Amino acid sequence: MTDIKPANPLEMVAYNLSLQIEDHKVVYVGTGLPMVAAILARKTHAPNITLVYESGAQDPLEGGMPWSVGGPFTWRKSPMILEMSYSFGQAYNGYVDIGFLGFAQIDMYGNINTHMIGIDLMKPKVRLTGSGGNNDLSSLSEKMVLVGLQSPDKFVPKVDFITSVGFLTGGDSRKKAGLLGQGPVAVVTNAGVYDFEPESKRMRVKTLNPGVAVGLAQLATGFELLKPDGEIPVTPVPSAEVLGILRNEVDPLRVFTSMPGA
Amino acid sequence: MSAFDYNKEALKNLKIDDTRILDRLVDFESARSVHLKKDHSRRDKRLSLKDAIAEFVKDGDVLTDTGFSYVRTPMQAYFEILRQKKKNIQMIGSPNSNQSYMISFGAACYSHNSYSGAEMRGYDRAYSRAVIEGKTRILSEWSHGTMAQGFKAAQLGVPGVFSKQLLGSDILRYNPYVKVMQNPMRTDPDPVVFVPALYPDIAIIHVQAADRFGNARMYGPPINDIALAAAARRVIITAEEIVPPGDIRSNNKGVVIPFTAVDAVVELPFGAAPGSMPGYYYWSRQWWEKLMRWACQSQANINEYFEYWVFSCKDQFDFIEKLGGAKWIASSRRLTKAEEYDNEDLGFDFSYKEFKTLETETGIYY
Repeated sequence: MTDIKPANPLEMVAYNLSLQIEDHKVVYVGTGLPMVAAILARKTHAPNITLVYESGAQDPLEGGMPWSVGGPFTWRKSPMILEMSYSFGQAYNGYVDIGFLGFAQIDMYGNINTHMIGIDLMKPKVRLTGSGGNNDLSSLSEKMVLVGLQSPDKFVPKVDFITSVGFLTGGDSRKKAGLLGQGPVAVVTNAGVYDFEPESKRMRVKTLNPGVAVGLAQLATGFELLKPDGEIPVTPVPSAEVLGILRNEVDPLRVFTSMPGA
Repeated sequence: MSAFDYNKEALKNLKIDDTRILDRLVDFESARSVHLKKDHSRRDKRLSLKDAIAEFVKDGDVLTDTGFSYVRTPMQAYFEILRQKKKNIQMIGSPNSNQSYMISFGAACYSHNSYSGAEMRGYDRAYSRAVIEGKTRILSEWSHGTMAQGFKAAQLGVPGVFSKQLLGSDILRYNPYVKVMQNPMRTDPDPVVFVPALYPDIAIIHVQAADRFGNARMYGPPINDIALAAAARRVIITAEEIVPPGDIRSNNKGVVIPFTAVDAVVELPFGAAPGSMPGYYYWSRQWWEKLMRWACQSQANINEYFEYWVFSCKDQFDFIEKLGGAKWIASSRRLTKAEEYDNEDLGFDFSYKEFKTLETETGIYY
C-alpha cells in the first residue's frame, strides 16, 4: 500500500459511525453517511448485520449508494417490504438495535431539531424538512447515534424546536416522558465522538479527531462540553485497508464521502 | 359546537381560531357515510385522467400524497390537478414532499406535515419560502410514524391508536389532533399519545397494474397506500397497465387494494414520471435536481420550469417526449432494472451529469 490519502472529515465520520455498529444487530438507517457506515461495517467488522429502512425495506442486497430511501437500492431483492407503520413498529417491539439520526441543531442533552431555524414555526427564518422518521426512531429505538457536522450554530444551548428527544432536560426526564430505549449513546461529528455523562445526561467529549484540541471542539460548540478525567483519547482513524474498502467498494462514486468543493 | 376536542395549546400555537378547517381529517362518521353511499357493485370504473380529476378531486379537499416522495407517486395526476386549477387543498402525507409545487401554484394552501424535502438534497427552499410568506398554513405537525399510525388506524377500523412516539417533543405542541394520556392498562405512570384515525378526502394511488373494477396490484414499497385506500373518502387508481380481472385473480401476489374502495381507474402509463416506478422506469435525477437546485430558488424560476414541463404539456406523453422520448424510456427502464439486479448491467455506472451541464444537451434527462 503506497501513499493512500488520509481520511477526509466525512470519511472519519463514516468510519466512526461504523464502529458504533456491533455484528449480528439490526440497524435502522436513512440515506447519507449512516448508510455508508452500515455498509462499511458489514464489509469489515460486522458482516452479519441487517439493514432496515423507514420505507419499510428489509435486508436488501447491497450495491451502489441509494439516492432516496424509497428507491430500489434500499429494497434490492429484499425478502419483503413492510408498510411504513409496521416498519417503525419493529423499533417499538424490540427488533431494532440501533438507529442513526441527523440534525440541523442539537443541544447538550442530545435533543434534535430538524424543523426550523427561528422562534415561530408559523414564521421561521428557514423551514426545514420536519421530522420524517427522526422522532419515531428517537422515541423507540434501543440505542441511537446522532451524526452531523459540528459548529456553534448547530451545537446550540437550546434547539429552536425539539423534533426528537434525546435526554430532554437531563437526569431521568427522558424516561419520565415515557420514551423507550437508552436514548442517544453517541454523537459523531467531524471534530470527534461524544457520549453523555450517565447522571446528568450532558454531552461529554469521548475522543477527539487527530489535530482537534479540546479548546477547538469547545469553540465549535455553543454550550459547555463536559470533559472526561485524564487525557482525552484520539478518535480511531481508519486503516489503509478500511479506507480502501470505503473508497473502492462502499461509496466508489463518492456520493456521500467527498468533501464539498473538493 | 364542534364534535372534536382539539389540543388547545396546539390551536394557540398554530393560531387556529376556527377549528372547522381541521374536522374532516378526523370525521369518521362522514367518511363512513361517504363510503356507504358509494355504488359498491363490481363495475367498470375506467375514466380518463382529466375526467377522474375533474369529478373526484374537489376544491378544499384533504389530498394525501402517496408513494414515497418520488417513488410510485402519481406525479402526472398531480400535474393534472395543477392544470385544472384546483384550489384550497389541504395536503397531508408521510412524506408530503409533493405539496411544495402544489403550494407554489396555488392548488394547496394548507399543510399537515411529517416531512417535506428531498432527502440528501436537503430542505426544500420553495416550501420554506411558502411557509415564511404564508402561502401555506400549517395545520398540524407529525412524525412519519405517527401519521402512518393514524392512517393505519383508519384501515384497522378503530377510532385511533396509542403511540409511544412524539412524547416530550415540540411536535405535540403543534398538532391539534394528538393528546398525551395515561395508558389505561397500567397502574404506574405511563404516558402515551392518542393518535386518531385519519380520513383524507382523496387518495390518488399509482400502481403497476389494476383491473377495470379497481383491484390494484403493487410492486415495491407500499408505504402508507394500503391504509390510505381504506381510509380516504374517494380513491383514484392510476395504473401503468389495465389487466383483465382474470390476471388479477391468478396473479394475486401484490394485490393490496380491493375494488370496493376505488372510485375511478385510470390507465396511465408513465403516471409516476419524472419519479421512479419500480420495475418500469427510473426517476429522472436531472429533472429533480434542476427542480430542487434551480426551480425552487424563486417563484419566477418555478413558474418557468412548470410552464415548460406541466402547463404546456397536455398529458404525460408530452412530458415524456420532453424528457427524451423513447430514448428516455429505454434508458430509465434499463436503470431501474439495473438497480434491482434484474438485467445484465451488474455494476452499471449510475453516475450522470448534473443538470448544470445540460447545455451540452444529450436530449435525455437521465
